[in-house]
Amino acid sequence: MPGVAGDVSSKGFWSRFLLPGGVWLLLLFVVPICLVLALSFGYTDDLGRAVYSFGLENYQDAFDPLYIPVLLRSIGFAVATAAFCLLLGYPIAYYIARYGGRRKHILIALLVIPFFVNYLVRTYAWVALLADEGLVNSALKDLGLTETGIQFVNTPYAVVGGLVYGYLVFMILPIYASLERMDGSLIEAGKDLFGTPSRVFMHVTLPQTKQGILAGCVLVFLPAVGDFVSAQLLGGPDTYMVGNLIQDQFFAASNWPFGSALTVVMMLFLSIWMLGYLRSAAREARDPVAAGGV
Amino acid sequence: MTGVPPTTVGSGPLGKRKAKAREDGFDRPRFLRVYSWFVYLYLFIPIAVVVIFSFNSVKSLQSFQGFSLQWYDEFLSDPTLRESLFVSLRIALITMIIATIIGTMLAIGLVRAKTRWSPAANVLMLIPLVTPEIVAGISALLIFSQLGIQLSFWTIVIAHITFSISYVTVVVRGRLASMGDEVEQAAMDLGATRLQAVRLVLVPELWPAIVAAGLLTFALSFDDFVLSFFTTGEDIQPLPVRIWSAIRFGVSPTINAIGTLMMVVSLTAVVAAVLLPRFFGRKESGIKVLTGQEE
Amino acid sequence: MTLDPRLNRRQLLRAGAGGALGLYGLGALNGCTVERPIDKPESTAAIKPEIDGDILIYNWAQYMDPDIKKRFSEKYGVEVNEVNFDNLEAMVTKLRAGGRYDIIWPTPEYAYRLNQEGLLHRFNRDSLNNAKGISSFYDKGWWDPDSELSIPYTYYTTGIAWRNDVVSGMTGSWNDLTNPDGAGKMFILDDFQEAIGEANLINGWDLNTADPNELEISKQTLLDQKEYARGISTNSTANLVNGTAVIHQAWNGDIVNVRNQVDNPEDFSYETCEEGVPVGTDLMCIPITARAPGTALKFIDWVIQPDNAAQNVMWNGYPQPVEGGKEAFASLVKDEPSIDVKLEALGDGGMEYRLDDPDDRALWNQTWTEVKAS
Repeated sequence: MPGVAGDVSSKGFWSRFLLPGGVWLLLLFVVPICLVLALSFGYTDDLGRAVYSFGLENYQDAFDPLYIPVLLRSIGFAVATAAFCLLLGYPIAYYIARYGGRRKHILIALLVIPFFVNYLVRTYAWVALLADEGLVNSALKDLGLTETGIQFVNTPYAVVGGLVYGYLVFMILPIYASLERMDGSLIEAGKDLFGTPSRVFMHVTLPQTKQGILAGCVLVFLPAVGDFVSAQLLGGPDTYMVGNLIQDQFFAASNWPFGSALTVVMMLFLSIWMLGYLRSAAREARDPVAAGGV
Repeated sequence: MTGVPPTTVGSGPLGKRKAKAREDGFDRPRFLRVYSWFVYLYLFIPIAVVVIFSFNSVKSLQSFQGFSLQWYDEFLSDPTLRESLFVSLRIALITMIIATIIGTMLAIGLVRAKTRWSPAANVLMLIPLVTPEIVAGISALLIFSQLGIQLSFWTIVIAHITFSISYVTVVVRGRLASMGDEVEQAAMDLGATRLQAVRLVLVPELWPAIVAAGLLTFALSFDDFVLSFFTTGEDIQPLPVRIWSAIRFGVSPTINAIGTLMMVVSLTAVVAAVLLPRFFGRKESGIKVLTGQEE
Repeated sequence: MTLDPRLNRRQLLRAGAGGALGLYGLGALNGCTVERPIDKPESTAAIKPEIDGDILIYNWAQYMDPDIKKRFSEKYGVEVNEVNFDNLEAMVTKLRAGGRYDIIWPTPEYAYRLNQEGLLHRFNRDSLNNAKGISSFYDKGWWDPDSELSIPYTYYTTGIAWRNDVVSGMTGSWNDLTNPDGAGKMFILDDFQEAIGEANLINGWDLNTADPNELEISKQTLLDQKEYARGISTNSTANLVNGTAVIHQAWNGDIVNVRNQVDNPEDFSYETCEEGVPVGTDLMCIPITARAPGTALKFIDWVIQPDNAAQNVMWNGYPQPVEGGKEAFASLVKDEPSIDVKLEALGDGGMEYRLDDPDDRALWNQTWTEVKAS
């Protein structure tokens, strides 16, 4: 019956919109992840094929003292990546939001553009730049700043640098959005209350943009943990990350069950952050002001 | 602008107040400006290297010897590399269309429907956003192998769609949440069916966000390496997979030419994402839509 | 974000119960393998070199001059498409997952394994115009006792490349990897066989030993080498060209490429080592699932045609054991004989990687994973 928006049937009508996406994600995202979980208890047969089973050997291996440091290293790299992204991203987002004026959109667009150059190509460019006889070292030598050159590539710093470069945009955009969303009059009020701009920043702006910072950190941290490109291309002998370990189990060592177990362990470590993010998203939806911490 | 709460736009951007700001410490525009310049430099130097060395006349990434188009020529005269470019484009296009439709429907459902399944659907939608890509790649590889589905062009497309739906939903929902349902109600009061109300009122209202989300999806899919790497099979591989194999062995400035061309394609999509909403009678740019300022 | 705040404990419980139910369902998978067996064609008669459609070749990246494919396409009016792998195990994975490729590039041991699984086409070598140019070393190899599965593409030695303007005191031993002049600028190949093999040779074991005690000691050798290493990488060309490496475990063909790309080729040397010289071959084989095996065979014949072989060698820097290919390589390395491979060496001085037992492979893989993770 057109025009009669009865409550119950309206509910039914709208919930049909949930169906395609819900079913798609359930079948092609959730079920496959359950398969990874199932295979993590499996083993590899004589022909090198993965077989489902109920064994805990892969988890024993995954929690071997040998592999725990790999996981911790990945988390350490990812934390450092998130920290550097925040350090680089917050001021620039703040600058654009507060002082960008009419050029705001151009400035933000300029920040986003580099991320549409393929991640592999960008990382490869860093290798060319930072190699021992690469462009940066040549320039430094010409300037007389160093005689032997600085070893940039194949170090943990290079890996973190590559990750920062890869994921910075995921930090900047949420922070910028939260700064833009902030009510400008709060700063005025803060000035009367706190005086100097830096105190206003600490007491008003920073708490108000906490959600953006949190979202940015999670969105940088999570993919960084699982990354294997940066460590492969920029890493050295001691930068093996859990993403490389997993990738090698699937495509080099052909041990899919062990690779699956490592994936599950990694997800368990990450689930704490994932849940934290989901919860805070819920809190924000309920009460944006309280979530902002004012 | 219909339905946009006054707090987001109306109270005035922060920028207007800069004249009054006393400057000290961190909050000094000059310090911030210099700092920002360094960040921009950091972001653009590698890009410049890629572009400049794609025109190098010798096979070197260390020194630029002179201008030449030979690496573009090498790329374009290699039919399989060219085919890889078209494969990447096709994957991105199909992903864009399907993911945008499904993601938009999901967004509408999440905002409008209040059933007991909504929270679950919401969590389901958010999970891909916080899952490392390698996990999505592995699980896609497993499900296809398990079902006996030949790894091919279509397995890549399916994996890309799965990972893209959530991006579309988040962008579209951001806009939807800021709109009331008064116009739809009015349309239905005038005799439109609900479906007509969606088609004639809601979708046009959402169109800028839909276009922006679609083009974002296009760019993400076009550049994606990890998912393609796990799900590529017997068909021609998309460009990023070829790049990965190539950069692990030897030096090839062709990569720079490919990278430059891919950047042009992606940028076209992004520029379109920013500009197109204006053609639909919107004053705000697509960037606002993409950064979720309308939430 | 508008996550519904009512996501409460009860709903989480419900989700947990659903998950448990799903897990129970997954229990039904117990004993299943992930990959389905490939549908093999019933007829396995020898194929003939005749055009029967477009082909898709599955090769290492940057391993074949695109011009060779292009001219074949133009001559026979079929497309030659290419996809790449970066790892032989990945190639096998995709093949087993049912990928249909017309030509693949395995090493002898991989060809042997694939043939054991019945995954390779047979053909009569004499049906190829250019088969007579193939080096006799590749007649009836252990991996192909009737010379009906494979045609050799390239052959290469594994040794050590170094910068002679930076490093001195190289002795022609695998221990040169830990030459102090190269400390912090040395690379080991990111290949489980090359890495463990080199350590096995240093310790005086058999190249292919699978004795767990011996492998444990080789692992320690590699861990000691890691102290000197700058990285673990297969990209010896780039690492040497951009100056990051001064000592690099490497394949001889890569050195040819390095010397082609730098201003100071005389500074780059290569040595094979007295403890043993791993010699490898990359073969061309036609998988049983090929769509156009006839065109594939015709293309293989085209690749080993003397003028094409010569052109390809000049392009990728690796010798081809066929007429035209050998001569072209000899001309490439005439001023640096250490890079050359004497095919006679393949018989006795040279060694090949060969791990037929899956358990041995698993043990090697495990050892290498431990080295990388430590």
